[in-house]
Amino acid sequence: MGQCRQCLPGALAIAGMAVVFLPVLPGLLPLAQGLELAVWRGLLADAQTLVALRVTVISSVVSTLLALLLALLLTMALYPGPRWPALQRRLPALLAMPHAAFAIGAFFLLAPSGWLARWLAPLAGWDVPPDWQTVRDPYGLSLGLLLAVKEAIFLLWMLAAVLQEGALQRQMTLARSLGYGRWQVWWLCLLPQVLPRLGWPLLAVLAYGVSVVDVALILGPGSPPSLAVLAWRWLADPELALQARGAAASWLLLLVFLLLCGCGLLLWRLLRAAWRQPHGRRWAGASWQPRWLAWPLLGFCYLLALALLLWSLAGPWFFPAALPQSWTLAGWQQLDTAPLFTSLGLGLASAGIGLALVLLWLECGPPALSRWLYLPLILPALPLAAGQYHALLMAGLAGSGFGVVWSHLLWVVPYMLLTLYKPYLEFDTRMITLARSLGLSHWQRCWRIKWPLLLRPILAALAIGFAVSIAQYLPTLFAGGGRFATVTTEAVALSSGGNRRVLAVQAMLQLVLPMLMFALATLLGQWAGRHRQGWR
Amino acid sequence: MKKRIASCLLAALGLVLPGMLAAKPAATADWAAVSREARGQTVYFNAWGGSEAINAYIAWAAAEARKRYGLRVEHVKTGDTADVVRRIQLEMSRKHDGSVDLLWVNGENFKTLKDGGLLFGPWAEQLPSWRHVDLQKPVRVDFSEPTAGLEAPWGTAQLTFIADRQRVSAPPRSAAEWLAFARANPGRLSYPRPPDFHGTTFLKQLLLELTPDAAILARPVNEAAFARATAPLWAYLDQLHPLQWQQGRAFPPSAAEMHRMLADGELRLSLTFNPNEAANLIAAGQLPASSYSFGFRKGTIGNVHFLAIPGNARASAGARVFANFLLSPEAQARKADIAVWGDPSVLTAAALAGHAKAATAAPGALREAVPTLPEPHASWVGALEREWLKRYGTR
Repeated sequence: MGQCRQCLPGALAIAGMAVVFLPVLPGLLPLAQGLELAVWRGLLADAQTLVALRVTVISSVVSTLLALLLALLLTMALYPGPRWPALQRRLPALLAMPHAAFAIGAFFLLAPSGWLARWLAPLAGWDVPPDWQTVRDPYGLSLGLLLAVKEAIFLLWMLAAVLQEGALQRQMTLARSLGYGRWQVWWLCLLPQVLPRLGWPLLAVLAYGVSVVDVALILGPGSPPSLAVLAWRWLADPELALQARGAAASWLLLLVFLLLCGCGLLLWRLLRAAWRQPHGRRWAGASWQPRWLAWPLLGFCYLLALALLLWSLAGPWFFPAALPQSWTLAGWQQLDTAPLFTSLGLGLASAGIGLALVLLWLECGPPALSRWLYLPLILPALPLAAGQYHALLMAGLAGSGFGVVWSHLLWVVPYMLLTLYKPYLEFDTRMITLARSLGLSHWQRCWRIKWPLLLRPILAALAIGFAVSIAQYLPTLFAGGGRFATVTTEAVALSSGGNRRVLAVQAMLQLVLPMLMFALATLLGQWAGRHRQGWR
Repeated sequence: MKKRIASCLLAALGLVLPGMLAAKPAATADWAAVSREARGQTVYFNAWGGSEAINAYIAWAAAEARKRYGLRVEHVKTGDTADVVRRIQLEMSRKHDGSVDLLWVNGENFKTLKDGGLLFGPWAEQLPSWRHVDLQKPVRVDFSEPTAGLEAPWGTAQLTFIADRQRVSAPPRSAAEWLAFARANPGRLSYPRPPDFHGTTFLKQLLLELTPDAAILARPVNEAAFARATAPLWAYLDQLHPLQWQQGRAFPPSAAEMHRMLADGELRLSLTFNPNEAANLIAAGQLPASSYSFGFRKGTIGNVHFLAIPGNARASAGARVFANFLLSPEAQARKADIAVWGDPSVLTAAALAGHAKAATAAPGALREAVPTLPEPHASWVGALEREWLKRYGTR
């Protein structure tokens, strides 16, 4: 990185990123109308605001803390051990499952008329669904719990990266050999090292929980919805006063996020103060290792994918039947393929452009600025998407394909950078030195040595960029001016409708598209490396 | 009822006369010019996209328009029309070219657009297909707001209830019976959460029946009138909600979701704005075959839905040509066909005679004659929704 002597590529790298990131700033100006005192009075006087705020705080705090707890529990139970790599291999596929598809599958499983209730119906003697609130409860608890499951997968993925460094495993071996029990080593030695590394991923999880709209529409309460949904509805209201209120709600969302961050930091300080130095007592017995712990998590994810598949093929299927009365391919045959191809096009374009930008940046960009590029991941998406929309309106590009791809890049680029950063950093510089000594120019070195050797991480980054683009909901709606129907916008729009078959088909597509891309990336990587042993 | 019809007719006459005086003899020549201009244009038709049947119909109409008029029609599937209205407002305030060429609209969204001067036209009554329109239907007022030729009628609708004969043999046929039914079936009734369109319509239905003087509702709302007219409604809802699904603390997000809940037995009754909806859903395997439609004894709210062109539309000629096709007897008859969409036509029976399939009601469709009650003035919608949200929006 940074060996580039020419100024032009460096300037190009900065310009490329600037085009993706900077126009959002002037776009945020119209949101300034939400800073006026009168607007805030209106916002706070609205009876929905405080209840919606409660939903947002409960669901985002529950999702963040519980996701952390789940991820840590799983890691502590499985690492180090043979099940850990097995779990790790399954993570990318689960990670690629878009949030909206996950939420729809969870709804199919857990709703009072869902699949689980249908299995229970003969035992409980239900002939109609119970009048329960297993989803869409007014406190946002079910929203928080299900977000936690999804985010736990993300945290596990981040943990896997941290644990790949051998040092921790050596410490574990050493401490065990000194007679400390497994859980004791984790608590005394590993957690204090691992937790700080999870700070940024946790911020991302919190930011997502605070500003998520698509999952909240599917699993969250309706009266009132979470603050993000409310803010989004207000921003989309024809009445100008309500638009201003929506802008104010966006700022409130940001404020809540910062306050929660502060609370999290405080919590961390308290926890650190509570940590004591090892006192020498050994609890060797505390080595119980529940290896099955990953199964409930994995099983839940597989079951909800199965529920989606069944419902996409179901004919009439009314409660309390455990299986459809008949099967049909109608949902797939009558499929409107336009959203599929729109998604595919947007995903390929943003992943392709994203890769070019990220590679250029890693090669020639100033590394000191890299951290700023992760900002979109740890900020609530709603104000950013609204800012993008205003920026596109100013440029006269709202509702264009270019505008939508550009809006996706704000999230695609950071995730791709996140994926490629470490492999790039760890690249053996002796190769480059050798290549230079052979007289290869900068781009020849990249093209003939570095990038082919980094092909697998590059393919993985492409797949991740594609998956991120597929899952975008708010930016697609805002920047696309409603003109771009993708599998995600269709799935969310249909989730308030009644036809579960059509909904299941869209959710399946949403699920399958990124999976296919991941499979393709893996296969291509293996194919390219078929004659090269030990090639990463 | 008779008085109401008479006043409607008078109002309609008041609208017709100026229109007739302004009519130009050169209409045919104008239309030829419009058709020429339309060829090759792309029309972005923003219409609610939550129903497969409707989407499939629009796709058919778009394909026909391409074949016949060399016109490309893109269906932009929208969720909430208010979203589109806002986009038009924003674009026009910044003098941008429009992203919307034709819009499916009625009620307060139309009023917002009309009051803001955001619409193209008048154009609707210059369409060649206009001569087929049944002027007996309220095609020139939209929620008591004169359309002034700024929007063309597309279809009619009437609030209709659905039940399953397996579970409900004697459905409620008035607001009072609805409450009694809720008492007998606690936790099994609900309505979509306002400001969902169907939820708000249900509120208006109750209001029409419960309010002491329904005539007030035809005039623009004011604070005193609102308080007086709606007091019985809130008293009624205070009694109804604790008996509802989830004790009235939660509401289904949409009527479509209610149909699903009806099919699973989670709810006993559902509602729709399309008298043929239950038949459609039975045919699609989404409702049990034992489902049926019914209305209230004294009638239910009915209205017309319209097509409008924003003032900044890029393809206003194309939009008019497409609207004219949608208003043609052929397209209207197809739309009314239960196997296609089942949306009742706005044309005269005579115009449809050559095209319409025998209008035998499919199983599940509304078979009884339910009187049509007029919509309250559009200004009541916002006031009702705001008050509802204030009272029940945060439980």
